[in-house]
Amino acid sequence: MAQRLDLLDPAEVARLGGIEIVAEGVVEGFLAGVHRSPFRGFSVEFTEHRAYQPGDELRYLDWRILGRSDRLFVKQFEEETNLRSMILVDASRSMAWHGTPERLTKRAYADRLAAALALILLRQRDATGLVTFDEQVRQVIPARVKAGQWTRIVRGLLDTPDGQGTAAHAALQRLTALLTRRGMVVLISDLLFDRDLVLAALRYLRHRGHQVIVFHLMDPAEVQLTGPPEVRFRDPESTVSVVVRPRELARAYADTVRREIAAWRKACRRHGIAYHHVQTDMPFGMALRLLS
Amino acid sequence: MSFIHPLALLGLAAAAIPALLHLLQRRIPPELDFPAVRYLSAAERESARRLKLRHLLLLILRTALIVAIVFAAARPLVSLRKAGASGGAHEPTAVVVILDNSPSSSAVVDGGVMLDRLRAAAQSSVRHTTSADRVWLMLCDGVLRGGTREALLATIDSTRAGWQRLDLVQAVERAARLVNAQPSPGREVHLLSDLQATAVASGRADVPRGVRVLALAPGHAVANRGIAAVTVSEGAAVIELSGSTAGDGSTPQPVPVTIRIGGGGGRRGGEIMARGLATPGSDRAGTGGGVGGGASRATVTVSLPAQSLAPGWWVGEAALEPDELRADDRRPFAWRVSPPARVMATAGAGAFVAAALDVLRDGRRVSDGRDVVISGADGPSGNRAIIQPPADPALIGQANRALAARGVPWRWNQLGTPGVVASPELAFIDGAAVARRYRLEGGSEDVLATVNGEPWLVRSGSVVLLGSRLDTAWTALPAAPGFVPFVDALVNRIVVGETQVATHEGAPRVEFQTRGADTIGATVFGPDARESDLTPATASRAIAALGGGDRVALLSADRFAAERFSGARRVDASWMLLVLALLLAAAELGVATRTR
Repeated sequence: MAQRLDLLDPAEVARLGGIEIVAEGVVEGFLAGVHRSPFRGFSVEFTEHRAYQPGDELRYLDWRILGRSDRLFVKQFEEETNLRSMILVDASRSMAWHGTPERLTKRAYADRLAAALALILLRQRDATGLVTFDEQVRQVIPARVKAGQWTRIVRGLLDTPDGQGTAAHAALQRLTALLTRRGMVVLISDLLFDRDLVLAALRYLRHRGHQVIVFHLMDPAEVQLTGPPEVRFRDPESTVSVVVRPRELARAYADTVRREIAAWRKACRRHGIAYHHVQTDMPFGMALRLLS
Repeated sequence: MSFIHPLALLGLAAAAIPALLHLLQRRIPPELDFPAVRYLSAAERESARRLKLRHLLLLILRTALIVAIVFAAARPLVSLRKAGASGGAHEPTAVVVILDNSPSSSAVVDGGVMLDRLRAAAQSSVRHTTSADRVWLMLCDGVLRGGTREALLATIDSTRAGWQRLDLVQAVERAARLVNAQPSPGREVHLLSDLQATAVASGRADVPRGVRVLALAPGHAVANRGIAAVTVSEGAAVIELSGSTAGDGSTPQPVPVTIRIGGGGGRRGGEIMARGLATPGSDRAGTGGGVGGGASRATVTVSLPAQSLAPGWWVGEAALEPDELRADDRRPFAWRVSPPARVMATAGAGAFVAAALDVLRDGRRVSDGRDVVISGADGPSGNRAIIQPPADPALIGQANRALAARGVPWRWNQLGTPGVVASPELAFIDGAAVARRYRLEGGSEDVLATVNGEPWLVRSGSVVLLGSRLDTAWTALPAAPGFVPFVDALVNRIVVGETQVATHEGAPRVEFQTRGADTIGATVFGPDARESDLTPATASRAIAALGGGDRVALLSADRFAAERFSGARRVDASWMLLVLALLLAAAELGVATRTR
């Protein structure tokens, strides 16, 4: 029995090949495990009824007309195959970090998750685009549904190098100008930047009618502090460093991280933003299932 | 506090290890990238105070842990001062056990012999010594006896009441000096005595710092009477009594005194008995510093049938009825019954001498003859001569030449200053005024009396010289009551060169000194009269005399047993330190685990 790649350890899956192979394998497994797309009906509007024809999906049957007149009608939706999705991938330097070499870096995990997500969306004929950013927007691939779009998205991911710092709010502000039509915005980031500024940008997108989904990516080593008895931890994006004894600080650090995640979750919920905390040892299928 | 393994204390340097590790570890920490530094900073800000406190606590705990282990390895010995903690080991101690078996220790007090109690306490002290201790035993003879514990126990066991008085001040001082010279960490003097007030009356013992003097607390006063001295003169025996009262306010009762002369123990057959009655008087101020009662003294004179005693040495014994202290209830005495001296006074001897000789002749103290010649430097004659200086200073030179010709080293010199006679031996002329005298010079021995510190009455062989003439123009002595006894002593005793009867401490007995076939003197042995005074010293007086409050402890028997060797009693405290180390380790583990 073939194993489903979407449920395997991300690092093991990554060793199977490049982003395309991994993403396709993950999506195949993922779609085989669900009966319907979890992304149906986003931002679509009802327009008219038409008579049912064999082959139409039963989920679009209008059961109330059937009950009243014993006739089969299906509901027609505007743009039902034309959901616009933009995947925002944080390519800052902090994303190029992993707690142990055996795990994927946050950036590698984000790339594969983004590729898989894009493939799912494109397979259900949703226009999907990509934006990568660090201090500035690095790659912008407009949302399309045409053939070769996924390859372009994967290429865009591959062509985006690891950045230096993170100025997410500036990049997000620029994105708001790019995303003129309502759609879905998926942000994949470790969120190591100013929460208020980023929330302001996300809140603006939400205000513009976008459905906003945030994947808060963290390495397990960022959740549970470990290390030598005493160590100087240096922020790769700045010159800030701090000397700590991980064993002593582990509990306080875990509490701080827990509070930070709770704060993000609470703030996102308050503004209608879907928030998902994902650790880089979580199988891709599990991460994708968070969206269902 | 001392240590069995003091070198282990070098390990205290290890106490710096936690602090050094702390500093060294902080110096070069490895550097790692960590994106979530902002979370770290926030966590550290919140925990900084708590972590600092824990670091400090851990540092203290770890340092204390090492110190405790090092001290435990050094095996510390701590003092145990707790009363009743007589068990347990003690550090090597130099100890002198003074067992005061002087005559007073044979007194019966509260139904028991005092010496038995003192001996039991001494045995207990010696038994509690260890092989590491140095022990000496001092008895009333003042001799410091060393030896094994078993040997000393045997000595104590065989100790009986002695006949010598022990001056406790001197004894303690000697003992303290001895133990102080020892290298032992502990130094103690165990004084087991009845602490008579008279035994601590001679000043204050110099006890070095670090020497502990433990003594049994003095008991209560005990009534006692003893014969202090017996002197025989002029046909009468003068018996001096001494002793102590119980201090209960009762009036001292008359004391019957019996005198036995000759008899079985005497030198001559037959026994003469005489009795007298002495009424003791209280002498509280006499000894001072006594508990309760006080010293009592009395004197009784018992006439002797001198006429019936043949010339020669006689031995007698005065006795009291038995009381609490038997050792002083009997005292022997000896005296010599001499035949009257045959005396001749020359014309130069003076009228006063002639008058005195008449009196003595009437009393059959002298008779006519030429055995003793009393002259006024008008020419010595006879074997024994009593010579006064010439009245005319011009004859001094002639008189001195005559003396020199006879081999007398003394000679009369210039006139000396007036003064009074001082003579311990001849009490009846002591204090007599001298208006005119010649300085006696040339000799150095046998000075019998002095005036202003210069010889006035001297003896050289069978010649006795006077610095003044026996005339009221020269001295007031001829007009004094003691003049006749003085002349009597001169002719019957001094010029004869008879030795006084001496007294000495010891078992009651009389010993005679002989020269050739002649008996020339006697020594009467008996206990020191002060032993009869059983008044104990007050605690304050005893403490002051035996070294002072910081070095002396007067204790009951139980307390004595508890305090004995407590100055050096030590307990190995390493187990306490190990328990402490375990507690510290547990605390360190708890703090460190909680920190993590």
